[in-house]
Amino acid sequence: MNTPIINDAPAGGNDATFGREALPWLDDVYRFALSLTRDASDADDIAQETFLRAYRSWHTYTPGSDCRRWLFTICRNAFLRSLERERPTVDIDEVERDVVGAAQVYAAALEEGYTDLFARVDILPAIERAVRELPEPFRATMAIVDIQDQPYEVAAEMLGVPIGTIRSRLFRGRRMVQERLLAHARDMGVGRQGRATEEAK
Amino acid sequence: MSGAQIPPLPPECLEVLKHVWDYLDEQLTDETTERLRAHLADCHGCFQYKTFSENFLGAVAALGQRPGASPELRAKVLQSLRHEGFAR
Repeated sequence: MNTPIINDAPAGGNDATFGREALPWLDDVYRFALSLTRDASDADDIAQETFLRAYRSWHTYTPGSDCRRWLFTICRNAFLRSLERERPTVDIDEVERDVVGAAQVYAAALEEGYTDLFARVDILPAIERAVRELPEPFRATMAIVDIQDQPYEVAAEMLGVPIGTIRSRLFRGRRMVQERLLAHARDMGVGRQGRATEEAK
Repeated sequence: MSGAQIPPLPPECLEVLKHVWDYLDEQLTDETTERLRAHLADCHGCFQYKTFSENFLGAVAALGQRPGASPELRAKVLQSLRHEGFAR
């Protein structure tokens, strides 16, 4: 990251509140940054940039409000700025296609004996990889709602889109992750033995 | 995909298919939620589909429990903040 150009840094008296309200969220901001970026080093940079920008803008923060949410918004903006490409757009008129796609994923899981796939502990690394490999804006939407447990309204505000767009992005993103996990399970032979056992009964 | 086909579904099952995420994310009206809940209690296939989707969300949510910032990142953040004038 470049050395920041200042400023509006808070006066010394505000440092205590910054330390008390903002810094405890470093773990969450890092995890969120990791969900947005594709590697730990980039996540470090984004998290560091987030706290620098937060510190410089601390005077705009309303004490006692949702600091984590405020930091996530800064983090998301820092991430967007780190991207050189333009923010992609999403066609939100494809819900029907996604409904069919989601049903196909489940039908395939049922047919191939993978219905318990997501309850397996050993699938977590594959889930993490599948989410990280999602294209934007699906990755950020899932990171905010599904990983950081923020409501649709917060995600819509953070990403600057209507709630309906959040909904369609989640629908699409989740389906894509499920498809990738199903492909992973096939590659690894996960669940096959269980299915064979069931069939032998 | 494996070429799996979706069988023709009754309207109640189709509603679950379309709204299972909204249901799990608590985005539906009370009336619709109750209608889906009643159908899920009666339809084994839809209940299994809901469980499949629920397990998926649970697994993704578990990613939020990953290790947080490293000590090195903490040190870097504090160092850069102090460079900005942060005194604590």
